[in-house]
Amino acid sequence: MTGPAASSPKEIRIQYYALLREERGLSDETLMTEAITPRELYAWLKAQHGFSLSSDRLRVAVNNSFSEWEQPLQTNDTVVFIPPVAGG
Amino acid sequence: MADSQRSYFALSESKLDIKKLKQELENAHAGALVTFEGWVRNHNEGQPVERLDYEAFETLAETEGNQIIQEALARFEIDDAICLHRTGRLIIGDCAVWVGVTAAHRDAAFQAARYIIDDIKTRLPIWKKEHYKNGEAVWVNCQQCAHGHIRHEEAIHLHARDSQLASSPTQRVAINETEYYQRQVILPQIGADGQRKLQEARVLVVGAGGLGSSALLHLAGAGVGQIGICEFDCLEVSNLHRQILYSAADVGQSKASLAAKRLHEFNPNIRVVVHAEKLESTGLAPLLEQYDLILDCTDTISTRLMMNDAAVMLQKPLIQAGVYQYEGQIHLIAPGMGGCLRCQWPDNMEPDAPGTCMQSGVLGAVPGLFGTLQAMEAIKWLVGLPTPLSDHVLILDLLSYQQHLIRRTSQPDCSVCGRFHEQQLDHQLTQERLAEVPTEESDSVWQLIFTGAPLRLTQFTLIDVNESREHSPIPDLTVQNIPFSRFELDHPPPLDKEKQYLLYCSKGVRSAHLVRELRKRGFTNVFALAGGQAKQDLAELRKLELEKANLYYVRH
Repeated sequence: MTGPAASSPKEIRIQYYALLREERGLSDETLMTEAITPRELYAWLKAQHGFSLSSDRLRVAVNNSFSEWEQPLQTNDTVVFIPPVAGG
Repeated sequence: MADSQRSYFALSESKLDIKKLKQELENAHAGALVTFEGWVRNHNEGQPVERLDYEAFETLAETEGNQIIQEALARFEIDDAICLHRTGRLIIGDCAVWVGVTAAHRDAAFQAARYIIDDIKTRLPIWKKEHYKNGEAVWVNCQQCAHGHIRHEEAIHLHARDSQLASSPTQRVAINETEYYQRQVILPQIGADGQRKLQEARVLVVGAGGLGSSALLHLAGAGVGQIGICEFDCLEVSNLHRQILYSAADVGQSKASLAAKRLHEFNPNIRVVVHAEKLESTGLAPLLEQYDLILDCTDTISTRLMMNDAAVMLQKPLIQAGVYQYEGQIHLIAPGMGGCLRCQWPDNMEPDAPGTCMQSGVLGAVPGLFGTLQAMEAIKWLVGLPTPLSDHVLILDLLSYQQHLIRRTSQPDCSVCGRFHEQQLDHQLTQERLAEVPTEESDSVWQLIFTGAPLRLTQFTLIDVNESREHSPIPDLTVQNIPFSRFELDHPPPLDKEKQYLLYCSKGVRSAHLVRELRKRGFTNVFALAGGQAKQDLAELRKLELEKANLYYVRH
C-alpha cells in the first residue's frame, strides 16, 4: 500500500472493449483522475461520454484481475470495465 | 490430476484444428474422451445472422480460462482438459469454442466438460457482435436490435466461487420488496412492524445440509435482513436427495457458496454472508457475536454441545433441531428459559452416539420438515410471538404423527447455564452487603455489580466521572472521562437511547448521585458501578471477563 486513499489525482490507464470501446471511440487512454474507486471513476466516465451501460451491468478488472468496485485505486493502475460477456 | 502437462486454455485468431487438438489429448490411460464444440448459429429471434465478431480482453481471458481448467482438474477425476476459444471474425458453421476432456471414466469427463464450458461462458471477458443480413449489428447481451429485443444468449449469473463474491454480487434482479412480502405482512401478528424486525435481524445458520436447506430458504423468503451461512463442505451426490438447496450440476462445489447464490436468486433483497469454515471452538465467540440468533442445523452431538455452551455463555438464543430416521426434535435455548442442552447431557457424549444420517438413514422430507420448523421458530422469536418451545422440547414422529411437548427446566447445578443462575443469587446477596453505598429500595435496579457473567462491561458505554486528575485509562476498555464537577444535569452530554451507560467514580457516591438524578429526568439507560472502583476494580473485572471467554475455549 503506497498511502492513504485521499482524493489526490492519480494517473490511471483505462482499456475499453466491445460496446464501451465503440461508445468511447478508442481502446486505450491514460488520464489523471481524483476518483478513489472504480465505481467513482466509471460514474465520471459515464457522465462524460454518455455510456449506455450502467455500472450494475458491468464487472471491473484492475491490473488484469477481477476486482471489487470499492477497491481503492492506486496510481498507474490499469482499469478495464467489462460489459456483459458473451463467450462460448 | 492437477499436474497435467497437456491441459491448457488458449485463444486462437485462426480456425481451430480440431483433429490436432484431439491428438494432443491422446493418452492410453483414458477410457473416455468427451468433446464439446460451440458452433455459430444462423438465427437470432427471427433475424438471420451473417457473421460474428469475437473480441477478448486477452490477458484476463487467458488467465481466467486457465484458472477454469485448473479448477476442473482439481474437482473431477480427469486426466487432461483443453479448451480453445476463437477471436476475430467467424461465419455460420464455424466452431467458436472447443473443449476436450479425457478421463478413465466417462462420468467425470462429461461433468468436467460441462463445468468448463459453463464457466467459460459466464466468467471470461469475451464479447460477441452479431451482424445481421439487413446490415444491423448488436453486441450480444449489451444492446437491443431493431426489433427491440436485447439479444440474450444465456442469463448472466455469477458463480459465487468465494465468500467475497457471495456476499456482494454485481448482478442483481430488482424486485419490489413491498410486493415480495405482501402476503405475510397482512397477517396481524406480522404487519409492517414484524417485517421490519425481520429485516433488521441477523441470523446465523450453522450447517447448510438437510436441515439447513429448508431453514435457509424460509428465513430468506421471510425477509431476514442478514443471513450468515457457516458450512465448509463440498456438495456430494449422496447429499442431493435431502439437501434441497442444491442442483445436481453443482456436485463438487462449495456448499456455502452454492447456498448463498441460491438464496440471492430467491430473494435479492437480503444480505447473505458466507463463513466457509469448519466451526472450531476458538472461532465461535467472534462469529456468534455478529448475530442476534443462531440456528444449529448440524449433525454431530459434539458440535451441538459446543454451540449450546457458546450460545449460553454469549447469551444468544439458539434453535436446535436433530433428526433420527423418521423422528425429530426441536429445541429453543434462550437466556432465562428452560435451561440448555447440558442440563440434559452434562458430559461430552461419544462422537457417534446417536447415528448420523450416513449410518442410520434418512428420508429428505424429515430434515426438510424440521429445518422448516427451525425457520418458523426463528421468525416467531424475531417478531416476538409466544412459543411453547421456550420451556418445552418438541418431539415429532413422522410415521405415526405422535407428538410430545416435553417440559424442560434448567438444572440449577448445570455446569453451563446453572452457573448464571447461581450468580444471579450472588448478585442479590452482595447488594445487601454493600452497606456503604447509600441505597433506597428502588436504587438496586441501577446499582450494578459485575461478577464476570452474565452482565458484562462491554454491554455498556463507560463514563468515568472522577475529576481529571483522578482519571486513568483501563486496559481493554474504552472509557470517557466527564468529571463530576463539569457534569451539568440540566444539559447532560448526549446520551444515545439505543445504548446503555455505566457511570463510575472512585467510591461510587458521585456516580450514584448522577445516575439517580439522570433517571429522575427520564434517562433510564444509565447505571452506576455499585461501590465505585474501590469495591469493583474495572481492570480486574475486564480481565476476568476475558479469562472466562478463554476458559470456555480450553474446555473443548
